[in-house]
Amino acid sequence: MQRRTTLETLPVGKDAARAALDQARKALGTIILGKDSQIALALACLLARGHLLIEDLPGLGKTMLAQALARVLGLSFRRIQFTSDLLPADIVGVSVFRQEKGEFEFQPGPIFTQLILADEVNRATPKAQSALLEAMEEYQVSVDGNTRLLPEPFFVVATQNPADQIGTFPLPESQLDRFLMRLELGYPNEDDERELITGADRRSMLQDIDAVASPEALQALQKSAAGIHMSEPLVDYIQALVRQTRESPDIDIGLSPRGALALVAAAKAHAFVEHHSGVYPDDIQAVFSAIAGHRLKPAANTIYRSAAELCQHVLDFVAIP
Amino acid sequence: MAKPRGTDGSLLTSLPWTLAAIVFSLAPHVQFLPLWITAACVFCGAWRYVIERRRRPLPSTWLRVLLALTCFLGVLATYSTISGVGPGSALLAIMAALKLLETRKRRDQFVLLFIAIFLVMSSLLREQHLWSLPYLLVAVLLIMTAWLRVSAVGEEPARRSFATGGRLLLYTAPLAIAMWIFFPRLASPFWAVPMDTGTATSGISDSMSPGDISSLSMSNAVAFRVKFTDVIPEPRDRYWRGLVLTLFNGRTWNSNDPFEGPQVHEQVSGNGDPIAYQITLEPTRQHWVFALDMPWSWSLPKTFMGPQQQLARGRPIDQRVAYEATSYLDYRTDVALTRYARSWYERVPEQSNKRTQALAKQMRASAASESAYIEAVLMKFHEEEYFYTLQPPPLGSNPVDRFLFDSKRGFCEHYASAFAVMMRAGGIPARVVLGYQGGELNPMGGHMIVRQSDAHAWNEVWLDGIGWYRVDPTAAVAPERIESGISESLLDGVASAWGMSASFAFMHQLTLTWDAMNAKWNEWVLGYGPENQERFMAWLGMSDPDWRKMIWTLVAVVIGIILLISLLLSLRYRPPARDRAAILYERFVNKAGIELLTGETPAVFAQRAAAESPIPADVIDEITSTYLDARYGPVDPVAMRRLESAVAAMRRQ
Repeated sequence: MQRRTTLETLPVGKDAARAALDQARKALGTIILGKDSQIALALACLLARGHLLIEDLPGLGKTMLAQALARVLGLSFRRIQFTSDLLPADIVGVSVFRQEKGEFEFQPGPIFTQLILADEVNRATPKAQSALLEAMEEYQVSVDGNTRLLPEPFFVVATQNPADQIGTFPLPESQLDRFLMRLELGYPNEDDERELITGADRRSMLQDIDAVASPEALQALQKSAAGIHMSEPLVDYIQALVRQTRESPDIDIGLSPRGALALVAAAKAHAFVEHHSGVYPDDIQAVFSAIAGHRLKPAANTIYRSAAELCQHVLDFVAIP
Repeated sequence: MAKPRGTDGSLLTSLPWTLAAIVFSLAPHVQFLPLWITAACVFCGAWRYVIERRRRPLPSTWLRVLLALTCFLGVLATYSTISGVGPGSALLAIMAALKLLETRKRRDQFVLLFIAIFLVMSSLLREQHLWSLPYLLVAVLLIMTAWLRVSAVGEEPARRSFATGGRLLLYTAPLAIAMWIFFPRLASPFWAVPMDTGTATSGISDSMSPGDISSLSMSNAVAFRVKFTDVIPEPRDRYWRGLVLTLFNGRTWNSNDPFEGPQVHEQVSGNGDPIAYQITLEPTRQHWVFALDMPWSWSLPKTFMGPQQQLARGRPIDQRVAYEATSYLDYRTDVALTRYARSWYERVPEQSNKRTQALAKQMRASAASESAYIEAVLMKFHEEEYFYTLQPPPLGSNPVDRFLFDSKRGFCEHYASAFAVMMRAGGIPARVVLGYQGGELNPMGGHMIVRQSDAHAWNEVWLDGIGWYRVDPTAAVAPERIESGISESLLDGVASAWGMSASFAFMHQLTLTWDAMNAKWNEWVLGYGPENQERFMAWLGMSDPDWRKMIWTLVAVVIGIILLISLLLSLRYRPPARDRAAILYERFVNKAGIELLTGETPAVFAQRAAAESPIPADVIDEITSTYLDARYGPVDPVAMRRLESAVAAMRRQ
């Protein structure tokens, strides 16, 4: 399935790509009201070539955010609703015997798309989850002994509902680690909610949004984001933060070196989204909770009630060099 | 009244260390403190820990005041004074125990650690041993660690506090050594430590009754150590002269109070080469100064030879002293015995020991001369059934009679006492000399150890034309005591009583090694007094050091060492690069007058500064954005210049 892409109208070149990114951010802001920092984080996540896990209660716009992201970035988009009877083949596709041709033909599953929304990812069995997770890690799927590459770029946006406990299969730590960021959207404030109620239907607005970037432009943006300057003191800062997560008695398992790398990549992408001349301490602090929240294992006796509080506690303890 | 709330358990990370520091600093005092104080400290420590652990409330003010009053009165009742080392350390221990009960916050523990430091220091007022140094190091390290635990920011692991404490201690070590070397040591200190007069030191007392010395022979304690310059005298010549007893009341021999007699050279003359040696005398709390018989010269100040050729110092020996001395083994006493003095030395109470007196008169009558009589008495000891034993039977009244005729078993003081009475009753002036005989050569340190168990009593008799002449009746009974020392003469049967070292060669070797280390330690560290310091300064090239010069040297050396350590540290330690942008930003933060919180980004600080500081919002924005670019962005001279000018403009306002 190919979405219409108006390549000739899309901007080319660095500055144009930047402008497109700002436009995309603005467009997303009209759909998801009052969530500018989460939009920036989601964009940063995609620019850092990371997969995104959105964790929140139903009805807070998780799916809307994922769809809007695909739409404004001009990415092909598929959605899989994860259920407990979902099979791996439902994700990656099956080989079907064609009588007329006398041979097997591969029917690609919904995963062969550029942005896939895995809705309620924790509802499926671990077997189905692992099919998705292999794709996230390897950017390829194996069916009937054949390895098939996934399209470029490839993003997974997964959502899960933290309140549901019955009939769910929570993702283990090793699989959570494959998501670069975990976001929480939260309730909108009163004014935004009012506008949401009185304003136009978001679903139809989504249809009216034009893509402002192409997959090629997105790849150029990813490259630029990775090239953002990270100064020496902030490398120290990141090391100090990581050390603090490992030494704090409130945390059983701190950030791994992969976690540290994720922090660097995300901070750079965030600085890029925010038009900073280099990575600022604010960029690191902005992405820290999204990066570290699902990677830390809090100690049993910690007084901090949520991952966000725990991350804030770490930030409050480390001086910025 | 509000219900007292429990503790919050926040001291759990530091309290165990503080408790450990207190326990460790209390340890050397325990053997001197009354039991109830130790028990109180242990109880309060355990109580406080349980309070913290279980989140219980602290005891009420009334209970604490009551406890404090009780303990103070308890110390007063135990010691009947509050000055001195004993009551002082008791009060410190009590203070530590009670302060624990009102330790609420982290910083309250600082007081506890101060008390711990005082306890450690006051332990040095009692005694200083070889093991004092390792003890001190560990104690100070523990207190430092506890200190760092108390002031640790965040959740610093304990081993890092420990390492930091050790490093700090290491930095201060050169300073401590320099101060030890250069701090002016005065012959007469400005202050004096009040000693516990109640503490008994084992050693020779200034009187002698039957049983006094045999009780000493159980003590393995070192009396003094001797280092001979070249010649080491034979065991039979190792008579270490102490005090002379002249008064006999029928049971006990007493000495005259020492008073300064004529110059030694008027009393004594020697033949041959004098023997030179150095003695390190352990404190005795008495005036007597021990030296090889017969002393000729000595380096200890304010020490004189009394009229009975005994050495004494005006001030009691209350600290370990070292002195050099020379002695003649072959000597004569050149004092004339007046009629009055003669009658003094022949005095025996008439109503006491009548059988002995009668025997003496009879033996003297049958002897041709004075020396024949002396010979006859010694032969009596030698040939009749007299035994040299460590455990003589009790003698009751008229002990000389009972010993000579009934028990016939005695230690050196029995023989010396009996011999002197026999001589006096037979008309020969006689007296008893108390001191030590023998000494063990330590092959490790090359010095001789004289122990309390070497304590000995012998006699001197006056012979016309010769003067005072040494006679040792013990040699007539047990020659091996004089020839090879006490340990071997008593080896049979009483080896285990005398001490574990005699029968176990290995243990003995260990004891000797330990003693050699102690001797070196005493000689070089504890004995580093004014003379050694002066010698050391002369070796360093400082002539005629007085305390003013020493203080200046000390100050110079200490400053030098501090500079050196700082230099080394600054070379090793690189602070995070404080680039120009950071310095400029710090000026802005100082000017804003609000504290930059830990983990607060410049953007967040800018918001607070705009709300709370007098600096205009646009200046804050300009400085913040240019600072972020200059510090965290790629190298950008423009941003740096803008930051500089913005900060300069802000400072001009």
